[in-house]
Amino acid sequence: MSSKLEELLWVEKYRPKSLKDIVNQEEVVKRLMKFVEEKNMPHLLFAGPPGTGKTTAALALAHDLYGEEWRKYVLELNASDERGITVIRTKVKEFARSKVPGDIPFKIVVLDEADNMTADAQQALRRIMEMYVETTRFILIANYPSKIIDPIQSRCASFRFVPLKKEDIVYRLKWICSQEKVKCYDDALEVIYEISQGDMRKAINILQAASTLGEVTISNVYKVVGLAHPKEVREIIQLALAGKFIEARDRLRELMITYGLSGSDVLKQMHREIFSADLKIPEDARVILADYIGEIQFRIIEGADDEVQLTALLAKITLLGSKTLR
Amino acid sequence: MEKKIPWTIKYRPKKISDVVDQEQAKQRILEWLKKWPNVEKRALLLYGPPGVGKSSLVEAVANELGYELIELNASDSRRREDIERSVMRASVTRSLTSQHSAKKIIFLDEVDGIATKEDAGGIEAIIKLIKTSSVPIIMAANDPWDPKLRPLREVCEMIQFKKLTKDEILLILRRICANEGLKCDDDVLNYIIERSEGDLRAAINDLEVLYEGRSKATLAEAKILLRPRDKSHDPFETLRMLFSANYAWQAKSVLNQSQLDYEQFKLWLEENIAYQYRDLEDLSRAYDALSKADVYLGRIVKTGDWDLLAYAIDMMTVGVAFSAKKNPKDKYRWVKYSFPQRLLLASKLKEVREVFDDIAKLISTKLHISSSAAKSDVIPILRAIFTSNPQIAARIALWLGLSEKMVELLAGPNKNQVLEYYKQLKKYLYQQAVEEKEKIPAHETQRSSSETHKKEEKSSKSLLSFVKK
Repeated sequence: MSSKLEELLWVEKYRPKSLKDIVNQEEVVKRLMKFVEEKNMPHLLFAGPPGTGKTTAALALAHDLYGEEWRKYVLELNASDERGITVIRTKVKEFARSKVPGDIPFKIVVLDEADNMTADAQQALRRIMEMYVETTRFILIANYPSKIIDPIQSRCASFRFVPLKKEDIVYRLKWICSQEKVKCYDDALEVIYEISQGDMRKAINILQAASTLGEVTISNVYKVVGLAHPKEVREIIQLALAGKFIEARDRLRELMITYGLSGSDVLKQMHREIFSADLKIPEDARVILADYIGEIQFRIIEGADDEVQLTALLAKITLLGSKTLR
Repeated sequence: MEKKIPWTIKYRPKKISDVVDQEQAKQRILEWLKKWPNVEKRALLLYGPPGVGKSSLVEAVANELGYELIELNASDSRRREDIERSVMRASVTRSLTSQHSAKKIIFLDEVDGIATKEDAGGIEAIIKLIKTSSVPIIMAANDPWDPKLRPLREVCEMIQFKKLTKDEILLILRRICANEGLKCDDDVLNYIIERSEGDLRAAINDLEVLYEGRSKATLAEAKILLRPRDKSHDPFETLRMLFSANYAWQAKSVLNQSQLDYEQFKLWLEENIAYQYRDLEDLSRAYDALSKADVYLGRIVKTGDWDLLAYAIDMMTVGVAFSAKKNPKDKYRWVKYSFPQRLLLASKLKEVREVFDDIAKLISTKLHISSSAAKSDVIPILRAIFTSNPQIAARIALWLGLSEKMVELLAGPNKNQVLEYYKQLKKYLYQQAVEEKEKIPAHETQRSSSETHKKEEKSSKSLLSFVKK
């Protein structure tokens, strides 16, 4: 009953369940299917940009190996969410303890964002992988394979996921629209592709958000992108540049409260904004601003206080505005 | 022989009108007591520099209006149990000794003296007391801006006491001189008043020390007998002294005489530099100095090397005080300083962050991604959906299992609509679940129950028409 009322996020709703449903990354899929046939696999390393199907492939592989009950035999970990390697070790240890009923003698640990681990943590991970190799296989997922240490790379079968082609993404989006009975326009889907840069997850998210406005048109696509990235940060920069320091500071505080942002979140958004064409300032001022923002980011990393630093940054931007814009 | 009591006690006000000045505070306290318990905030927090009449006024009020005063002050122990034992009883139970239930006021003096370590749970106990008390509670503090007192500030009506003027103090000292039969020279009294910095109690104490056992004293004697007193300055004075410092050593010494520690001072500066310096270059220079001080403080935490503190303090005192190069006169400008807004916002910010963290966790398990990816990629999209289509938003909320607080944060201005749909959905599901449960034992009446079920389904269909595409 509840399933009819619930609205899934389409990225999850239309995630291919089985390897045979995956339409792109053909080379990868072909090799993974071999593991299913043989009911055996080595440790795997999936590398490639976000939204290219790495997690989907890992889960689909598990599905095809174990059948509908696959979730019981898969431990999903995210390196950037787990607190340290000892937590990972404990969880893997716990998970590896129970035997798998049936003809497959191992379970699977999917470790996402493995390239976010320090080299030391990766060394520890390597030992864990060896320790439990009889009962578990690891699928490591990474954006940048070069950040995975050699000893791990050499123990894994490596798979490269390439960014999805425009046709692949547009085709998929169109198919989803037909399933959802949502009217969509080709030019709008192409704009979604441009914005998402070959990242399927991003593309589907934008598609779904745009569809909630009615039809998927270019203007609706831009509208949801605008809603997703509020322009407050730009307005704060503009206020400061116009010499309105106290107002800019008030707005910044309000922004941080509304969205629960940290200092680094704000700096990241500011950095994006200063190179946006919508911020009308001399080109050389963009460089100066980037330097200011970088310096403040550095100070925060050094352990300084978010808000004192952001306030100081606003003061500098205010001064820059008075020098270059008036 | 006349029993000797200190003059500060001997000359304590008995009546409300005896308390010097503080007219606004008097009026507010009386009004609050009159309305109690139908008041917005269930407790009062009187604040202001020492010796301006906070405790005296409370005593005078109790005395004049016939309240019994139950007192606790900083010299008493403030541990949770002590507060609970001594005051809870008084507050919750009516007086047992007297037939008529005597009116009472609980008075907690020097609440800013509550040190977190010795007085474990002291603040919590007071807040609990405020919530449950059947008796009005009045508190007093010199520095109510201590971060530890924040939870207390939120439940109290704050009443400020002003520093007394020289003339007001002079009037009282003269009255005491007359009453004690002393010949007090004006230059001596003025010297005492100057030293007191608006603290009447200190002035009366000085007077007593100087005229102990005699009726005459000279200015020279006063200067020898009355040794310099260490005073600590409130945040506003501290800021004023810093900005107006003419020498580096003056600026550096400001923190030694302040009620603020360097962490608190940093926040007061962050708030107020912008009000003091008008020239943008000066302003930016001062904030940069503060920012550098802050970096040193961060490094102290990182490295544990406290030697760095000296540099941090140099930057935030001397660095800030000598930033007005373009507009040097701004140093001496009188401006109204403001309490650091971020202290007021901090708890709100923390709460919002925690809710977003929780949303990210829910998303990360549903979508097999990290919380940080959930925050940067998915939450913005959800926000777009929640602000553009409340019905679909409610259904997504159902799938993710969001709390109402989470829905509110994601929907922003749309929150009421989304919540409305969300509640309808949940109510409908709940009814379904109840019906399912009831249906199980009813084998015999299956037909009739399935008929009623159909009927209900029909009615709920209209209610839920919005979920259909």
